[in-house]
Amino acid sequence: MSSSSIALRELQRDLENKANDLSKLQKDIAKNHQVRKKYTIQLGENELVLKELDLLKEDANVYKLIGPVLVKQDLAEANANVRKRIEYISAELKRLDGSLQDLEEKQHSKREAILKVQQRIQSHQAGKAKA
Amino acid sequence: MGKPEVKGTVTSLSSVFPPEEMQKAAKMVEGKLSEKQNEMNQLKEFIADNTSLINLVQKLPDELHHDIMVPFGKAAFFPGRLIHTNEFLVLLGESYYADRTAKQTVEILKRRGKSLMSKVDALKAEMQDLKAEASFFDSTASEVADDLVEIREYEEDNSTERVSQSGPVELESPSVAEADNKVSASEDDEYARLMSRLEELEKEELAAEDEDANANATETETDSDEDELTEAAFHRKKVEGYSSLDHNQRYLVSQPRKQLQQSKGKDPMNEEMSTTYNHQDLTNQLACTGLTAEPVTKGNYGGEISRGRIVHQDTKMLNPPVNASVPSEKTSLKQIIHDSSRNEKPVQTPKSEFDSSKAFTGSIIEHTENLEKKLPEQKTTSSQSSDSKPSKPVSRFKMQRK
Repeated sequence: MSSSSIALRELQRDLENKANDLSKLQKDIAKNHQVRKKYTIQLGENELVLKELDLLKEDANVYKLIGPVLVKQDLAEANANVRKRIEYISAELKRLDGSLQDLEEKQHSKREAILKVQQRIQSHQAGKAKA
Repeated sequence: MGKPEVKGTVTSLSSVFPPEEMQKAAKMVEGKLSEKQNEMNQLKEFIADNTSLINLVQKLPDELHHDIMVPFGKAAFFPGRLIHTNEFLVLLGESYYADRTAKQTVEILKRRGKSLMSKVDALKAEMQDLKAEASFFDSTASEVADDLVEIREYEEDNSTERVSQSGPVELESPSVAEADNKVSASEDDEYARLMSRLEELEKEELAAEDEDANANATETETDSDEDELTEAAFHRKKVEGYSSLDHNQRYLVSQPRKQLQQSKGKDPMNEEMSTTYNHQDLTNQLACTGLTAEPVTKGNYGGEISRGRIVHQDTKMLNPPVNASVPSEKTSLKQIIHDSSRNEKPVQTPKSEFDSSKAFTGSIIEHTENLEKKLPEQKTTSSQSSDSKPSKPVSRFKMQRK
């Protein structure tokens, strides 16, 4: 009986660990979602800027705000910069998507493991009750 | 007529939709809805700011320079002048600025305004969806509270009907499913009346069945739909179903009706009948027994009409203490309707629309004065359903429905 209660305690500890892991995973997933949202908004804004830049005439003045300084920029240069940024953001988004999928899979498997441990605990307790 | 074999299941709605969960779901939906509302308010503010900015930008170039009070620091101003009134440094986004004239600035601002409007529209659509969800949850929650039970019957020909009854008390579910067997005399008068009606109808239906054999209806909408139907949805479906049914189907649907009324009206009639019947039946039933019937998808109607058995079942259903109303039981409903005085039926002129070969032949009616009233109703479809609402003792149903 003591051995079974020890086993029971072990199982419960195992369950706790797994539950902690699961909550960590969930936090990661939530963070991932947030970052994704931010990036998506930035992507939208950059595309808007690109559209406006395209509407500008060649000799129009474009400035970029870097900290407290407004720096004059070349239209072509600004265009290139914005396009590069858009590419960078899309790549980041894809990467995040991949890692999100990963995390979700891990979460899924963790949940299943937890279920299994719970079942074992239940069977243990049932066994103990009988005995 | 032999009773068709009926196998069915009765599930209490509260088991399918446990009340606490329903409430939780309803709250979640409400929360989301309020979030969306906040976003919507914010967007509206942006739009308002944008328009006032456009106005300002348009007014500035009217003068060469403006005398203004220039803000200085956090809490001071000094008099100054605004010059170069046609040059604007516009933020394009992501810390990029551009020099533009007033006209060009206004164009930029207008484009921004358009994108804001489209966002607002998208939000509105989302909110509508959420509202629909919320209303569905509310109605199911109230149904669960009333202890409605979902009864599914499977006829031999695989038509399924879904009927929900309220049995605050006891729905003896098994008994309900086997209503046929049970026909307890409790509801007696109605039952007797219904039985006789049903038999008559069945005979007629069987005769008509041959004709309609092909028309089988789309029963597709069915089960899944049923699950989701809310009363509002039900109405919609009815309307859709009606409109989509082709004549055959409608004819089938109307069959039961016809039989009740003994008129051979066509589709419009059917639809109306069914809708009105449903309403009426429900109301009647409610009046009598306080039952509420759940809407049935139209699809079922189409498929089932041809079955006289349905009628049978309907009656049977009616009889049980529970008094479930079966959708297909339109026929039974009709009977009920006949039995009870239905003045509500708004009705319509049955003949005018269809008629062609099926116009009423005058032979209709007569079971009760009510029948006559019914005939006229056949015409309109959805309108009727709404019409049927008028003040009737059944209003109970209506109220629930609504």
